[in-house]
Amino acid sequence: MKLLEGRTALVTGGSRGLGRALCLTLAREGANVAFCYSRSEEHAAETLARIQEQGVRGWSFKVNVLDKPGVQKMVRALEQEAGGLDILVNNAGVGQVVPLALMEEEDWDRVMNTNVKGAFLVTQAAIRGMIHRKRGRILNISSLAGVKMMQAPVHYCAAKAALKGFTEALAKELGRYGVTVNCLAPGVLEEGVSGNLPQPRLEEYLRNCALGRVGTLAEAAEVAAFLVSDRNSYMNGATLVLDGAV
Amino acid sequence: MECTSCAPVDGAVQRSDKPHTFLHHEPSQCERCEQAVEARVVLRKGEVWALKFCTTCGQTEAKVADSADAYLEAWVKRGEVADDTRDHLFKHTTSTCPQCLALLQAEVVIRRGKVYFKKNCRKCGPSEALVSEDARYYVRAYTFARAGTEPLKFAAEVKHGCPTDCGTCSDHEQHTCLPIVEVTDHCNLECPICIVNNQYSNHIALEGFQRIVDQMVEREGQLESLALSGGEPTSHPQILKLLEIANRPEIGRVVLITNGLRLGRDRTFAEAVKASGAYVGLQLDGFTADTHEKIRGRDLSKDKQAALRMLEELSIPTQIIFVATRGVNEHQIGQAVQLLMEKDFVLSLNFQPAAFTGFGGGSFKHDPMDRLTIPGVIQRIEEQTGGKLKVSDFAPLPCSHPQCVSLTYLLKLNDGSYMPFGRFVDFQRHGTLLKSSATLGASPEIHDALEEVIHDVFARQDEVERGTDILKALRRSLDVMFPDRKLTNKESVLIGEQQAKSIFLHHYMDRHDFDLERLRKCCHHYPQVDGRVMPACGFNMFHRGAAKGPKTEIASWGKKPWTTNPPVNAAGPASFKLPVLK
Repeated sequence: MKLLEGRTALVTGGSRGLGRALCLTLAREGANVAFCYSRSEEHAAETLARIQEQGVRGWSFKVNVLDKPGVQKMVRALEQEAGGLDILVNNAGVGQVVPLALMEEEDWDRVMNTNVKGAFLVTQAAIRGMIHRKRGRILNISSLAGVKMMQAPVHYCAAKAALKGFTEALAKELGRYGVTVNCLAPGVLEEGVSGNLPQPRLEEYLRNCALGRVGTLAEAAEVAAFLVSDRNSYMNGATLVLDGAV
Repeated sequence: MECTSCAPVDGAVQRSDKPHTFLHHEPSQCERCEQAVEARVVLRKGEVWALKFCTTCGQTEAKVADSADAYLEAWVKRGEVADDTRDHLFKHTTSTCPQCLALLQAEVVIRRGKVYFKKNCRKCGPSEALVSEDARYYVRAYTFARAGTEPLKFAAEVKHGCPTDCGTCSDHEQHTCLPIVEVTDHCNLECPICIVNNQYSNHIALEGFQRIVDQMVEREGQLESLALSGGEPTSHPQILKLLEIANRPEIGRVVLITNGLRLGRDRTFAEAVKASGAYVGLQLDGFTADTHEKIRGRDLSKDKQAALRMLEELSIPTQIIFVATRGVNEHQIGQAVQLLMEKDFVLSLNFQPAAFTGFGGGSFKHDPMDRLTIPGVIQRIEEQTGGKLKVSDFAPLPCSHPQCVSLTYLLKLNDGSYMPFGRFVDFQRHGTLLKSSATLGASPEIHDALEEVIHDVFARQDEVERGTDILKALRRSLDVMFPDRKLTNKESVLIGEQQAKSIFLHHYMDRHDFDLERLRKCCHHYPQVDGRVMPACGFNMFHRGAAKGPKTEIASWGKKPWTTNPPVNAAGPASFKLPVLK
């Protein structure tokens, strides 16, 4: 039996990058996978097709995670279609390399909103059914920048650190309903937000990383698949750092 | 002190046999000398134990069952019997002979869906009494039993067993949730249903009252409520001074229980009561001349109207106390509920199915086989409110013996309407919310329970009637009940009462339905000036006199009510005769 056989998962920001890798790995492990995206329909269509190639059901929703009614409608539709939502991966996020001195209020809001408020809104919609069924797995994708002192944009670090707190408090709140909440904090990966580091920062990272390389999307997704599986039944409120030992 | 049963009180003396949940009494034998004793069956650490007190050998105990859950399940099944005319024995308990008041064993039987006591007194012969109009409610109520809370200090030692050691002794199963201080035995009415025995001889002295208040605080730490009763307490010449003494930070709410005659007539007095911060427990058993005449001896319609007007005008927080009597005022139960729903100053409603004890009540015309009990009153509430409130909205109160009190809370929704908690709360799961309190308290236990309720309603909001509105109201309640600062006891009470109203049903016992098991866990107590704290029904039945009306004597082992001057031997007579089980 596959790791996630019969489960239904929702991945936010799932059309490309780490989100796509998450979708495909969960699908490979037997989960029916839905994802939401806000921009590229082309990428979304490709991701959906590749999910379905795995022989599982797949759904894509063009919904911004900050659109509360849209999020609620998406979760409701998915629950009706799939008979329930077992796994939520809060992956949607944005980053921006800018020093605090030049950071506009809008910059701050955009990063904090997408990374933190988005996770809040989607989680709030998803836990309703999870509490009802007394079962669920929530995984928040944070970052090494949220758990370790690093030279990185402060709004991004603050947002990713907030996800760690979000994870811990929610784990306490929902544990009694059989819903576990964990956090994955990858270091620099080959693609995605942290892949856009300025060259000096990347070189510094590689100098300090025991494995001497960045992580792959697949490596992060493999860990994520285990974290949201039933085999990972006692971990709750934890933040797992995946950085090759920095 | 918070009473729900579960949280141990800091500073309380821990006994080796506790914590446990007292479930019921059953006839047994002393483990050592085999003398017949009545065992307390308790649930402890997942097991079932019989705790026995023998006057010769002292305390012993024996295991009854390995699994408390299985025992409770079998207990409930035992009560699931055919709905026929046969008597199905459910259990035994200790009751009283309705003639000579001797303690004797009673069979608790289920017959045609109702519960009866069957007794046989060697001296007076057999008797029967209706105990509950709904056997299913009666049996299920036991599943609500929760562990009692130890007071910081007990008033008496265990010497002779319940009920002679009152009180309360360290074998009592609950602390004092509500102390009722009888501040006078004078009254301006002679009610045919009166359960006390006014002698027109005492007004409590200020020092005596002060001593009682001090002792209650010493024993309980914090008190959510303290009630002043009588007699008619407003006839005490220094009643305002008494209210002042009771008004202290450890006591959340001081309640003046009154017939309202003085309040309706004497505005200056009413304003002084308002200024004292006291709440009023207004006796109001009906809305027509005939019901007043039958229950209170004369038409009090205008007096009650005047009192209600004054209470509303001055916004004095009020509890309505309605003695529900078969064939007299049972048809006006719905009107009382309507009053609660419509008037902001009425915070709670307390139905008391009539107990036929005391100077008036002891000789009040009644049929012990056809009387109102808690399920009967609940049924009438549903019928007379057009289903606004339903039988399923009510649950037994776990804090006292579950047969003594039933209640529901009504959550105030943001549009001003009310929603019974029973519609969105599983009281079996959230027993913490069931408290012997007119309002929700801002305790950590309540916070946790509310949070769970919020999650439940959130998850089921499409199934729960007005689920979204309930969530908004619960959010409001959480915000105000648990602000980012510590609330005083009084603030907590004040805020809690804005969130929900309550309906209580409290069935006091009399010579027909007296059940020693219920007395064991009584949490409504009469503190005395000599330091005793007397569980209410035991006091009414054995110590006050008048259990069968004015000429009934106090039991041979009884201890008289308080007097202004405490007796020299405050512990009571030097020797007691243990009541004989017949």
